Amino acid sequence: MAFLQAREVSFRYPEQTEWAVQQLSFTINKGDFVVIMGASGSGKSTLLRLLKTEVAPHGERTGTFFYKGRLLTDYAADTLAQDIGMVFQDPENQIVMDNVMEELVFGLENLQYSTSIMQKKVAEMVHYFGLEGLLNRKTYELSGGQKQLINLAAVLLMEPKLLLLDEPTAQLDPVAAKQFIAFLRQMNEELGLTILLVEHRLEEVLPLADHVILMDQGSARQQGSPRALAEAMSIEQFKAYLPAATALALTFSPRSALSVLPLTIKEGKRWLRQQTVRQKPLARKVEVKEKAPVLQATSLDFQYERNGIKLLNQLSFTVYEGESFSIVGGNGSGKSTLLKVLAQVLNPQRGRVFIRGRRVKQPDPTLIGYLPQNPKLFFLEETVMKEMEHAASLGAEEERQERMDYFLEVFELSPLKEHHPYDLSGGEQQKLALACLLLKNPVLLLIDEPTKGLDPETKKHLLHLFQRINKEGVTIITVTHDIEFAARLSSRCGILFQGQLTAIADPDTLFKGNAFYTTAINRLTRNEEVAEVLTLEEAEQTWAIDTP
Amino acid sequence: MKRGFSSFHPLVCFFYYIGTMSVLMLAKQPLFLLTAMLILLVLNGVQDSGRGLRQWWLGLVLIFAGCLFIYPFANHRGTHILFYFHGNPIMLESIFQGGITALAWTSLLLLFLSYNVIITPEKFLFLFAGVLPRWALLTMITLRFVPLLRRRIVEIESVQASKGTSARRGSLYHRAKAGLLIVQILLTWSLEEAVQTADSMKARGYGLGRRSRYIPYTFKKKDSVFLMISLLLLALSLYGCWLGDLVMAVQPILETPLLHGREWLFYVFALGLVGLPLGIEGREVLLWHFYKPEK
Repeated sequence: MAFLQAREVSFRYPEQTEWAVQQLSFTINKGDFVVIMGASGSGKSTLLRLLKTEVAPHGERTGTFFYKGRLLTDYAADTLAQDIGMVFQDPENQIVMDNVMEELVFGLENLQYSTSIMQKKVAEMVHYFGLEGLLNRKTYELSGGQKQLINLAAVLLMEPKLLLLDEPTAQLDPVAAKQFIAFLRQMNEELGLTILLVEHRLEEVLPLADHVILMDQGSARQQGSPRALAEAMSIEQFKAYLPAATALALTFSPRSALSVLPLTIKEGKRWLRQQTVRQKPLARKVEVKEKAPVLQATSLDFQYERNGIKLLNQLSFTVYEGESFSIVGGNGSGKSTLLKVLAQVLNPQRGRVFIRGRRVKQPDPTLIGYLPQNPKLFFLEETVMKEMEHAASLGAEEERQERMDYFLEVFELSPLKEHHPYDLSGGEQQKLALACLLLKNPVLLLIDEPTKGLDPETKKHLLHLFQRINKEGVTIITVTHDIEFAARLSSRCGILFQGQLTAIADPDTLFKGNAFYTTAINRLTRNEEVAEVLTLEEAEQTWAIDTP
Repeated sequence: MKRGFSSFHPLVCFFYYIGTMSVLMLAKQPLFLLTAMLILLVLNGVQDSGRGLRQWWLGLVLIFAGCLFIYPFANHRGTHILFYFHGNPIMLESIFQGGITALAWTSLLLLFLSYNVIITPEKFLFLFAGVLPRWALLTMITLRFVPLLRRRIVEIESVQASKGTSARRGSLYHRAKAGLLIVQILLTWSLEEAVQTADSMKARGYGLGRRSRYIPYTFKKKDSVFLMISLLLLALSLYGCWLGDLVMAVQPILETPLLHGREWLFYVFALGLVGLPLGIEGREVLLWHFYKPEK
């Protein structure tokens, strides 16, 4: 008997002509680790919500779900609440209570457990997760990764049989995301919990999966074992989703030449050892042109509180005209704070910031455009069009209109003109905010974590956009966790560590040879008898492999 | 971990605050109110190392000064004229009246500051969840929103300032407009997020029926002792107020602010009630001061 089964499920939101989920069927066995993937808007979240009756969207639906052989709708509400647990994307908004302990028992209280049973369950779970130190903390003091762990623990305390997770690591940094996924694996392997995970980070989750469903425009385009899926995804549309090892192998060998399609770094290394890689002559253009500095920061000191940690400590650096500079660094190292100081949103206790040799003391959008992590905070108007008009309030009428049309075109925002900014997807919001910033013609763009929560395809698109803006002469400083992104976008990178920007260098010098602070492709090619590469493009440019 | 007064049962703590509040409101004896205010000042300093006091000192000073000064200028009843101010007589009676009101209000505010430290939202929820379950949870979630909104508004302000929309710069009109816009984003954004919170609550079975409570509080022996002592002291203090021993009459005849005979007895009882938590905290400090781990 199948544990969970969907039979031709379709769903349509009210007043929509397109189906959000279309003719979807799948079968999941007990104890399976199932990964659902696909671009944003492909119906992944809708599918999960349909399975969780309490948060199911309203609309027109056909088809049926079977849970343990019976119709999902036949079960009592409290059985379902307990049996099917769900963790959502945003770590902060799921938290109801003020205090970690209260948050953990929230679900148990709803199910009317007695104090002694709750105590026993919590004691066990807290020990298992290693949460002892957090129990008496306020929930809002925790980091994103800790919050998401609390959310997971709070759901697991109710002992669900089926766990639904809607992009739970999208808002986390890579280290926290890895830890979270490691927990999921432990739950699945040790407790036999059935897991349905919507995820973009295939690098980590694909090797864990028993069954993968690839969604495309509401229907399951393909489903099966991870290896079968990786094969199906080697077409151009889904290439960006593939794990590094698979992408690399498929770039150089046709599928027919591979006995096993590598999924993990380990398998990738095995594949690489069988190849003879010749070095192509380096076609990389080296820019040694002396350029004028755009931004100079001298001896910046910053701390939030008098007795707090010194987040920036005598930090100095210079960014030159037309450069693209990336700042990487651990969680809480003060990367976002540095951007805010540069944007003059926060005043440093000591130190100065110069733009083109002139000292700036106040935020000036015509000099510096600052794109925050959460673009929602950026918007003031009702529609995309009004937002852009608001941003373009400077300059002559005709010129304004021309520029607005240009950005609507380049950023593909024209069809969304009359939408409310909040109704756009994450990637579209980023683009709108970016367009508004560029309308003011800034010298310098400061961008905070642009890739957070985006699917690989959107990420690629955004990267090209940044590269284009950069080429048009706007200097860019990006703060990011995404080394892959930094390596491809930037001309120079720096690591923020202990309040200072250390090891400023071009991405090659900075990332090659690192164990963690590097890309998956680099890890794969490290310590092998080939020239190390950072990105797939670099491999394509510098390697030549003779196919047998 | 929790020690001192906050380790007592929420009901006992809550009773102390209600009792002390009523005594502070009924007793109109400047000497008593002055000592009570000092005790509460020290209590606040001990309870959260003065964090609340540092945050609220301006409010405390304003309330104190406000009551002290407005009264004599507004109220001219009485027989003891001290001097004339712009042709208006300033009475000794009204100065005493103002002083009493100032001391009472300041003490009440101090008591409330201490209440905020001791009766955390979870204790509040514990106390009232049985009587008004829905309201208690709603209150609790609303309470969570206050610091949340404060953090969010700071974030929005900084982002908007980088775009040139700031409520701290420019003309009054410009600032008012910017302020409104910022509040508007705050509300739109928070409502959006609140929908997710509601989903997360429903997903964990909220609203299916009655909730049980994870109760980490048990009524211990020290709780009953404390409750009995405070009940006794409260009864005696209220009796003192009723007798007039803890009330300084201002009208029609001005009494002396000093205490005489039996009044001292009630003064001690009432102060005993106000000072109970400080006694407990003090005992805790001494205990740890003289605690020698065995080697």
